[in-house]
Amino acid sequence: MRSMKLKIVIIVCIPVLVFGLSLVAGPKMINPFSADDISREILFSIRAPRSLVALLMGMALGASGAVLQGILKNPLADPYILGISSGASLAAALGFMAGAVFLGTFTIPLLAFIGALITGSIVGIMGWKRGGLWPERLLLAGVGLSFLFSALLMLFMSISNDEGLRRAMLWIFGDLSMSEWSKIPYGMIFVGVGILLSLSRAKALNALILGDEFAHSLGFSPHRERFILFVSVGLLTAASVSLGGMIGFIGLLVPHIIRFFIGSDSRLLIPCSALIGGALLCVADIISKSVLPPMELPAGIVTAIIGSPYFLYLLRRKNVLSI
Amino acid sequence: MSSASEPKILELRRVSFSYSRQRPLIRELSFSVGEGEFIGLLGANGSGKSTVLKLASGILKPSGGDILLWSKPLRTYHNRDRAKLISYLPQTLDIAVPFTIRELVGMGLYPYDIPPAMSVDSALEMVGLQGEASAYLTDLSGGEKRRTFIAMTLVQGAGLLLLDEPLANLDIKYQIELVRLLKTLRDEKNISIVMALHDINMALQFSKVILVKDGAILGVGSPAEVLTDALIKDAFDVRVNIMRQTDGSSYIHYGDNA
Repeated sequence: MRSMKLKIVIIVCIPVLVFGLSLVAGPKMINPFSADDISREILFSIRAPRSLVALLMGMALGASGAVLQGILKNPLADPYILGISSGASLAAALGFMAGAVFLGTFTIPLLAFIGALITGSIVGIMGWKRGGLWPERLLLAGVGLSFLFSALLMLFMSISNDEGLRRAMLWIFGDLSMSEWSKIPYGMIFVGVGILLSLSRAKALNALILGDEFAHSLGFSPHRERFILFVSVGLLTAASVSLGGMIGFIGLLVPHIIRFFIGSDSRLLIPCSALIGGALLCVADIISKSVLPPMELPAGIVTAIIGSPYFLYLLRRKNVLSI
Repeated sequence: MSSASEPKILELRRVSFSYSRQRPLIRELSFSVGEGEFIGLLGANGSGKSTVLKLASGILKPSGGDILLWSKPLRTYHNRDRAKLISYLPQTLDIAVPFTIRELVGMGLYPYDIPPAMSVDSALEMVGLQGEASAYLTDLSGGEKRRTFIAMTLVQGAGLLLLDEPLANLDIKYQIELVRLLKTLRDEKNISIVMALHDINMALQFSKVILVKDGAILGVGSPAEVLTDALIKDAFDVRVNIMRQTDGSSYIHYGDNA
């Protein structure tokens, strides 16, 4: 029990330390205590919002991955499997191509968010049968829609030679360079609501992992609980895609890494996956902008390159179970 | 032994159920469960045993008739209140769940805001798994897995256990152990148990037996009343001989069915 508390304290401290480091580290090291005006400007106008966006995105991905693997009872599920991100990308790409600028820098995130919510609703409707959401139907509907939207995206790309579309593509594959303070409040609201909503149903998620009949016997309504959890995943995924595009690895593997250390109880798994997901993306962002300045590597590539070997190492070392 | 005057925990009155109108699965089925009763639910494959238990636990809603829990319609109970009174264990337990024994048994507390009297540790002690709290379910034997889930229902504090074929896939040793454990729980905690099973010999040890065929009841009563050669022939389509011993016990001899 004591070692569990220590692990949780460590997991809480990691994102705080990483956030601090992300302010100092970058193409140019900045000492926040003896910074000149230009450095201070970089710190507050560029690095701080960018690190906050990375934290929020990573948190949303980590938490929604943990929830989704539970409700779909599938260890391979990640927030992108439901097609929500493909819908978001398609909407954003259409926006870029149309040169939509009606809300300035908010246009594309808003389009992505709307695309994600519409796609989430379609997946929900397709996954609905006999009074509830069924995991297999959700998964298949998500995969089906995902293919359709990806194909449409490719089609638009191949028939267009628009410069906007190239920018859209870069954004889709995870781009934190457009982060700014104005995106933080709404990111915080959606990520906060999504995480709190899923945390409030964490016991029900544990019971659903045992099976619908167990969940019923333990006093839950399986279909209602799955619906609420699905809504929380939809919100988190939509928020993360609209903040900075798609970042792989975190939603899929961070929950598994957390399971190695603190087990599968969703009441701990969801918040810990969020914290470590946020920290990992923040670290990845530091690396992506520091190794080859002024060039930036896509953060999604960095998360996978540093995260996957560690995951494989754990897989080998620890006595792993399923979800 | 129960009598008509004892309080009824659960009562099914002319309950029917079907997924489609053409093929009723349960037909006007009635029985009741009193406090401390240990009831065996017997019937051939597809006779409706599992469906009866799912109806009784509220997982399935009857298409006709009434189900009363402590004299109040089952459907009027809030999910959490019902969970404090009835616990149901399905036939197939997903044994690949990633929880430790302590986490799993602790889920019995979910219907409560204030934890009831039985702690996880004392429940594990009752089922003889006190040393296994931090083990994973996958590390346990078949009998221990079943006992883990029984411990969960103890923590849940329900006075009525509905068990769907808990003896399936268990060695005879674990079957005997499990039935002995359930009888101890009945004696010490006054828990009522309804369990579906296949073994007629095992059912001969129960206080009450319900025999079902095609979703209807063939007989309810003591094993001596219900498990007769004629009714078993009707329910299972096999010829058997009930052998009565001088000490009052009896066993089934499977006759010539060639």
